[in-house]
Amino acid sequence: MIISIEWLKDFVDIKESPEELADLLSNIGLESEVTDTTIEDSGVIIARVESTEKHPNADKLKICTLNDGLNFHKVICGAPNVASGQIVPFAKIGSVLPGNFTIKKANIRGVESSGMICSERELGISDEHEGIMLLPDNLKLGESFKTSYGYKFYSLELDITPNRSDAFSHYGVARDIACATDRDLKKLEIKADFTPKGLSIPILSEDIEDCPLYIGGIVKNIKVGPSPDWLVEKLKSAGHRSINNVVDISNYILLEMGHPTHIFDYRKIVHKKIHIRRAKKNEPITTLDGQKFKLNNENLVITDGASPIALAGIMGGKNSAVNAQTVEVFVESAYFNPVTIRRGSKNLSLMTDASKIFERGADPKGCLTAFWRVISLLKEISGGELMSELIEFYPNPIKDLKVSLRYSEIISVLGLQIEKQKIEKILNGLKIPFKIKKEVYVCTIPSFRPDITREIDLIEEVVRIYGISSIPTSTALNGEIQYGILDPESFLEPIRSSFCAFGFHQLYLNSLENKIEANLVERKPISMLNPLNIEMSNLRTSLLPGLLKSADYNIKHGNINLRLFQIGQIHFLDSSSENRYNEETYLGGLIHGNEKDTSIISKEKKEDIFNLKGIIVSIFRKKLSMNLRFDAGYHPAFSFFKKIIINNIEVGFLGRITSKWMNALKLDINTIYGFELNLTPIKNMILKKKQFKKINSYPIVQRDLNLVMKEDLEAGKISNLILKIGGKYVTRVNPINLFNNPKAIGENKKSITFSIFFQHPSKTLEDKEVNSIINEIINIADKEFSAKLRG
Amino acid sequence: MSIEEKIDLVRKNFLTDIDSFPREEKAIEDLRSKYLGRKGHVSELFTLLGKATSKERPALGKKLNLFKNEISEKFELEAINVYRKNTAFNNDEPDFSLPGNETRLGSLHILDQTLSEIKDIFKSIGFHLAYGPEIDDEYHNFSALNIPEHHPARDMQDTFFVDKKTVLRTHTSNVQIHLMEKNDPPLRYIVPGRVYRNEAIGYKSYCLFHQVEGIYINKKVSLAELKGCLEYFVKQMFGLKIKTRFRPSFFPFTEPSAEVDIWDNKRQQWMEILGCGMVDPEVLKNVGYDTKEWNGYAFGMGVERISMLKYGIDDIRHFYSGDIRFSKQFI
Repeated sequence: MIISIEWLKDFVDIKESPEELADLLSNIGLESEVTDTTIEDSGVIIARVESTEKHPNADKLKICTLNDGLNFHKVICGAPNVASGQIVPFAKIGSVLPGNFTIKKANIRGVESSGMICSERELGISDEHEGIMLLPDNLKLGESFKTSYGYKFYSLELDITPNRSDAFSHYGVARDIACATDRDLKKLEIKADFTPKGLSIPILSEDIEDCPLYIGGIVKNIKVGPSPDWLVEKLKSAGHRSINNVVDISNYILLEMGHPTHIFDYRKIVHKKIHIRRAKKNEPITTLDGQKFKLNNENLVITDGASPIALAGIMGGKNSAVNAQTVEVFVESAYFNPVTIRRGSKNLSLMTDASKIFERGADPKGCLTAFWRVISLLKEISGGELMSELIEFYPNPIKDLKVSLRYSEIISVLGLQIEKQKIEKILNGLKIPFKIKKEVYVCTIPSFRPDITREIDLIEEVVRIYGISSIPTSTALNGEIQYGILDPESFLEPIRSSFCAFGFHQLYLNSLENKIEANLVERKPISMLNPLNIEMSNLRTSLLPGLLKSADYNIKHGNINLRLFQIGQIHFLDSSSENRYNEETYLGGLIHGNEKDTSIISKEKKEDIFNLKGIIVSIFRKKLSMNLRFDAGYHPAFSFFKKIIINNIEVGFLGRITSKWMNALKLDINTIYGFELNLTPIKNMILKKKQFKKINSYPIVQRDLNLVMKEDLEAGKISNLILKIGGKYVTRVNPINLFNNPKAIGENKKSITFSIFFQHPSKTLEDKEVNSIINEIINIADKEFSAKLRG
Repeated sequence: MSIEEKIDLVRKNFLTDIDSFPREEKAIEDLRSKYLGRKGHVSELFTLLGKATSKERPALGKKLNLFKNEISEKFELEAINVYRKNTAFNNDEPDFSLPGNETRLGSLHILDQTLSEIKDIFKSIGFHLAYGPEIDDEYHNFSALNIPEHHPARDMQDTFFVDKKTVLRTHTSNVQIHLMEKNDPPLRYIVPGRVYRNEAIGYKSYCLFHQVEGIYINKKVSLAELKGCLEYFVKQMFGLKIKTRFRPSFFPFTEPSAEVDIWDNKRQQWMEILGCGMVDPEVLKNVGYDTKEWNGYAFGMGVERISMLKYGIDDIRHFYSGDIRFSKQFI
């Protein structure tokens, strides 16, 4: 909300600069910033247009001569409204306008222009830029625009929290300033000295929950016309445009005291009734701004006894709007139920200044004040006379709420020994009447503060004005020791750091994907009812699509050698389980390009499936001591695919991704290897403690064994056989050489050299013991796999 | 001399020769022809085949082939080494200007690094960690946190709905409800996690971000303690000289509520970094805690925001770009 600083001065003395005032308000919970209008002097001065002549080379431009009291300036101006004799804001050469726009000498179609006549938008005052801003005649030429006139538009932008309906007005903000600075708050003037002339109109609210209070009055002899300058300036200073001297009054009162009122054209209230009820299904209304709505039971409407003439608390209807021909009006000042207004406003997606206040809770007692303020202004500026009683519907007067505030509780919650005098001053400043009973303040909550209902809310008020910055800071380590797991996700730590050590970059990627991406894996995606856009309509079901898109992006930006990983949540529907939405923590990664940057000292080596296997083995088998194996499997998107089995649970897979996914994702990556695994089941496995084993210091014997076998026999089978036969004496087997020249060893054959490491746990192994193991290996390898010693 | 002995002799001579393997290309090629050339020692051995009987011939042929392969492999290995070294070394002095054989470094994401820093600071003052679901019911995300269905406070966070009663959590505060439902007071946790907001994407906002929320429940907890805890955090995170400001604000789940700003020297203005307050009694009532006995404080911060302020990152979208040019800046 825009708050005009000059307007605030109607109610409270302001000694602060705009910046100081913004800080002061921010420090009492009304977050404020100065607006563009308010920013330091820009060098704009008051000048008079002495003459205008047509630009020789442009029809729409004029050459104006400006008088600043001392000098004359030639300025090119394109505004349609410029004319001689006008007093205008003139930006001389060197002036700086909002947005850091510096005025320089310019040549406009062959004529030199020394400065600029400003529009309101250029000065940051309003959005008006159709023409230049015209100023009152009494301003002194050559004076600074800011100090002689522009200050009227100094304003602050307030970001008001949803609890503070009372602060949605100049009076409400002034009340807080007065309280915080200990200054007087002027009373709102109400002149209720009207002699009613007997007219009336029946008012009925069908449900007093929706509308417990409705005040109205009929005013005649209205002369609709332009508003006086003071009103136009005031509205402008708060960021509003003037419409006419009737509509402006309602807006003025709304901005002044935060109570929405509405002014109907009385002659358009056809059935001469005010009937407040819920709308019927599909009941139509066209609002003031020309929007057409079909209503339903969610909407509260004001009717003339037959059809709706306004959306209660939101906006008036077009059919009852004031226009130039209006001579009689009906003034409404009511209190509507916050929830009713909010539901109605949400239902139509129509939010207005009025609905914002009503849904936060307007001030029921403000109805009367606002009513009389409107009536007196109608008389003052539009010539209207009140012709009716104050017509009131208020069957059940709203009772004042009383809340007790214990002094001891203030001290306990704040941790501060605050003086009682200070508390009393704050309550007085906030216009909260109280009585003191044994260290307890029994407060009567004013009707304009519907947010205060409990003791803690009053404590909040006290500390808000006292200043949270003034509360001492306790450096004590409070509370007791808490047992149990410090961080249930600490198991991710070794995984994360290992990937990082292996050259992987960790990525954080969007969890929201399009339908195609989310459907790549065989998990049912969860979609949103209200997605931001179609590209982000589903929650990711796998980490790989996002990673692949990143890989593609990086490759296209010249980073071809990539190792990427991601840890994050995936989601999918599970109709078979009670918990319909599944959420799991996944780990996924990709490798692409070369293992290293090639150079003289480092030959090219492409990433391959063994690199990926090695990484998975190192982390899960070696580092985390898990029982890891890879099982055969099939996946349509993988040209090579293995399941990852950890501690006998299938947790994921690895492989080479084919063009099927690339096409679906519209990527062009050739060879890329990836893996994905579910960390949720791994979480509990990792907790296994590592235990020290005695270091075996007996000598290691190494022997090479060269076996010829069928080409398609997996080397791992022989390695496993060697380990099995070797038992506790063979500590390691490593296939070190592969040879498959058919001329030397025959068709469809290969020979593999296994390097075998022997070590006895409790003595030095003798040659004959090693030989006997080797012989047994040779025998059994022959028997089981027809693998023979190479001669 | 038997054939085996002849082979052994050639092997022995060869091994001696390659022991002092030449460095110049010419000498290397000479050595290659000495053994592997058409008239080299190895080729010479093959002439023995002619003298062998047809019965011996296959076995001998195989043996010689194997031998030739062996010599050839060993020779090429040495030769490659020398050719490589020739470019890298000069008169036994390595050309140290050549790049080191660097291991390619990976990186933890800067948000992960920032989160670790945040975790460490709070762990040092007695906080444990807890986590919870990203998809949750409206009750845990809103109603239990004193954000009733038809209240303007719901507009403070634009929400993604999965179904009419289920949302992508808008904050990790849903976890404080789960925690308190399961545990009796006292308790002290921070809760990191991904949260979602249905907001237009720009340099300041994204459809998701990461939050760390904290909650401390005990007897007679005071605002002064909350201030102590958060000032400690801010100073540990941004340095002892950082200027902070506590400013009253509003959150439905805390009362009183405040926002904490730090002074940004570069921008010459206060920057908001976290929200906090005393846990609203309604929230405690909703989880069945006796508000006469227990109270507490809570706070929440965006990991992105902390990270942006600490590391000068100017656009929130960098975090999720997957661009390793960004990652490499924070190795």
